[in-house]
Amino acid sequence: MKMAAETKVGEAEWEVKIPEKKLKDRLFFENLKAMVIDTQLCSRCLTCVSICPGGLLVNEEDVVDFPDFEDKCLDCGACVRVCPRYDYKPKSGLGDYIEFTAGQSKRFKGQDGAMGTEFIFSAMDMGLIDRGIFVDRDEQWRTSVFHVRGKEQLEKLPLGGTKYVFADILPELKKAVTFTKKGVGVVGTPCMVSGVRKLQEEFPIFKEKVKLVVGLFCTENYHYAEVSKYLIGKGVDFSKLIKTDIIKGKFVATMTDKEVKFKVAKLDDILPSGCSRCTDFTAVESDVSVGSVGSAAGFSTTVVRTETGKEVWDYIKKMGNAEVGEGKVEELDFLINHKKEREKNIQL
Amino acid sequence: MMEMINGLMNTMLSNQVSIPLIEPMLDMLQGIPMMGYMIALVLWKPFFAIVICPGLTVGGVSLLFFPWIERKLCARIQWRVGPHEIVWWLGGVIQILADTLRFLFQEVIVHKDAHKRYFLQFPFLTFIAFLLPLLFIPAGNIVAIKTPYGLQIVLLLLCLFPLFVMGLGWASNSRFAYIGTVREAFVYFAEEVPFIIAALAMIILYKTSDLTLMASEQCIPGIILNPIAALTFFIAAAMATSRMPFEIAESDQELCAGPHVEYSGIAFGLIYVLCYEKGYIISGLMTVLFLGGGAGPAIPYLGDLSGAFWFILKTYFVMTTLFVLRTIYPRYRLDQGLKIGWSPMLIMALIALAVSLVEVAVI
Amino acid sequence: MSGMKKVVAPEYNLSDKIKTHAYAIGTAMEESVYPHTATVLYPREKKKMPDNFRGYILFDPDKCISCFNCSFVCPANAIRMKEAPNNRYYPTIDYGKCIFCHFCIDSCSGGALRTTKIHDVAYKDVDEMFTSTEEMIEPPEIIREDKKSVEYVIDETDLHLKRKKERDGLFVEAVPPVEIPMVSQCVDRGSCLACKICERVCESGAASSVVEEATMTVKMAIDAEKCTGCGLCVKECSMQILRLVRVRK
Repeated sequence: MKMAAETKVGEAEWEVKIPEKKLKDRLFFENLKAMVIDTQLCSRCLTCVSICPGGLLVNEEDVVDFPDFEDKCLDCGACVRVCPRYDYKPKSGLGDYIEFTAGQSKRFKGQDGAMGTEFIFSAMDMGLIDRGIFVDRDEQWRTSVFHVRGKEQLEKLPLGGTKYVFADILPELKKAVTFTKKGVGVVGTPCMVSGVRKLQEEFPIFKEKVKLVVGLFCTENYHYAEVSKYLIGKGVDFSKLIKTDIIKGKFVATMTDKEVKFKVAKLDDILPSGCSRCTDFTAVESDVSVGSVGSAAGFSTTVVRTETGKEVWDYIKKMGNAEVGEGKVEELDFLINHKKEREKNIQL
Repeated sequence: MMEMINGLMNTMLSNQVSIPLIEPMLDMLQGIPMMGYMIALVLWKPFFAIVICPGLTVGGVSLLFFPWIERKLCARIQWRVGPHEIVWWLGGVIQILADTLRFLFQEVIVHKDAHKRYFLQFPFLTFIAFLLPLLFIPAGNIVAIKTPYGLQIVLLLLCLFPLFVMGLGWASNSRFAYIGTVREAFVYFAEEVPFIIAALAMIILYKTSDLTLMASEQCIPGIILNPIAALTFFIAAAMATSRMPFEIAESDQELCAGPHVEYSGIAFGLIYVLCYEKGYIISGLMTVLFLGGGAGPAIPYLGDLSGAFWFILKTYFVMTTLFVLRTIYPRYRLDQGLKIGWSPMLIMALIALAVSLVEVAVI
Repeated sequence: MSGMKKVVAPEYNLSDKIKTHAYAIGTAMEESVYPHTATVLYPREKKKMPDNFRGYILFDPDKCISCFNCSFVCPANAIRMKEAPNNRYYPTIDYGKCIFCHFCIDSCSGGALRTTKIHDVAYKDVDEMFTSTEEMIEPPEIIREDKKSVEYVIDETDLHLKRKKERDGLFVEAVPPVEIPMVSQCVDRGSCLACKICERVCESGAASSVVEEATMTVKMAIDAEKCTGCGLCVKECSMQILRLVRVRK
């Protein structure tokens, strides 16, 4: 416990704004449940789980839930305040950007250019942040959260590559924010980026501590249990799987010996409801967006959107941490439009 | 038959210990038939010397209480309490009695490699052999065997002690007992020569070796006439009884117990009191040689016992001094002990001899 | 070996030697007549203990604020907090682990734990050494055999025992907890969730909140006059935005 400056004896008062309840005389969680979870709007970004003061909101079998909320809910409204889908304003398109380019990391090996990892570690080299949060995967392509606490963790790098599966990034982010000294960098899907932005909007502590948000191009995410069952049915062997990708409407799983291809539309049956209502492909609100579509093989398309992102990208170029490639904006159009079509699913 | 008994009675009656204090009681007891013979026997000087003073009774009592006195006194000097819990209001006075009882009921373990017969016999043999010099040491004018060669015989018997102690170690047939035995033997050799020379110096000084005469003819105590001989004799006595500065063979902390490391039970108990017995004998000898034996202000009520009383008092004083040494000095190493025995003490003994010769020539 | 210092025995001449021997013998004789005993005859005498002696620990549930400080600070992990029937958490001590450092007593912000001079408690087995909260409230059963109290006195030259014909009291008045002039304060008011956890945990009623339905605001307040600086709210705050700060007087 650090001692802050000395203070005078006196009453300290402050006011906290809490949001309007759409359903009067009900708990905030019931509002959230009625407006987001039950309407299949929830994207499982887990922003609410991360902020819940009692730590009682849980992500149980890929559904956000609150057992015994009648008894235990403190009714503080934090979950409603931070939920990106509570007042859902769908974003789409490519968004504003400063530089549209591509890169290939020289330090890390990933599915494409491994630029997400490169951005976090370069920001760490710069001294911008001291903690980073990634999604990791195991041999069976199950996801887990990788919390980098220092540069010495470079040796045990996460296994890169696109995972079309959910991960509990944001609860880990809150832990990192509480303990960090300089700042935190985070890599996440568009829905998680929106969650982080919402947190930053509501709480200065996140504004101050979350320095770099790297968004990933995202078509959709699947629940692990369902997608693994489907892929095994298609003849995909997880132990030999090298990368998964969606190219021109087709799902491509590349293995050491063969490739399995099928139309993405075939996965619609197991597409989670939250994703079917998501229109953001390029993570519009992030500092930097990274993805494989829109550049040559082995390169990651990099969309630098903010000044912070520009600083890090300049640092990467200055230090020669990555090879600079060429990005083609037009190649993204198909997927952007594909996701924009989903606006029709949203019934507010 | 009756003539023989009467002859014996006359012999005994001619050599009686007279104690005026208990004479009325004795006169009363004379009335009981046969009691006259008993009293005559007990008060017969040689018998009295063996059984009561300075023999078994006084010796036994000192064996029983000197360990306690030593422990209590050393504890006082070292800021401790000493034996305390058994009869604590009397300062644990029967501690040794309790220890003896414990030793009596303990199992005597004879280990496999030991020479069983000797292992069990030696403690008892040693104990008995250690008692023999008491026959020749006079307490005042009470002595068991009066002989002109008293001192020589006592020295001879004292020289037998090492044999028995080494026998204990040998019968144990254990490497630790063996090491202890060898150390004991070394120390004995270092100590015996100055010891005997110091005693010889006194023979030259007194021109006799009859212990009774030596004691009774000291108008000036020997310790003043020849202090160097007295000092040599005292240090040699400390070495001979394995007291603290020269506790080289036993050295409890490092070597456990020296020659008797394998002993337990009553056998160990006997060996434990051996050094006190030896201390008693050598202190008695020192009293006779240097402190005037039973000389002292005569106490009329005690009669003949007056001399014995002073003798025992002086002996106990010498013993106490010997035992208190352990609180003052730390133990010497074996080589230091041998060096002390063979160089300074031998030289001192020779000087003492020279002093005696000069004194005899001058007077 | 260079640099090794050879230890040389001090040299004495003959008169020095005789003097030291005489001194040693003289001391021995003096002590045999007037001994300074350093031994305390324990069951019949007891050493007089200072008031801050680290002995058996007693507990007063009325003063306990369940702040867990004792169990957090315990270096031997001997203190466990157990839930009492009134839903409060009270400490229990495992004397099999306790090292009697009394950090728990020093850290107790309510003054609920206090020391005694009891240092000789016997247990039948190891399980019994686990002392529950109920057993900590009352001292263990004591049979006193001592009639005297003994004190070590160090004078100019030496250490001596001073015996007094009085019994030393075993119980010590609880030292009132050191008043650390600290209060809890919110350092980042914008990040407050208004979750009211601070109000729930506060024992002294310093933290308070008022919900105003009309404007949809929550008025949070920490009254520094009431705040005891126990640090419970700081520990529990979900956003970690409360800090203990020193009070300027």
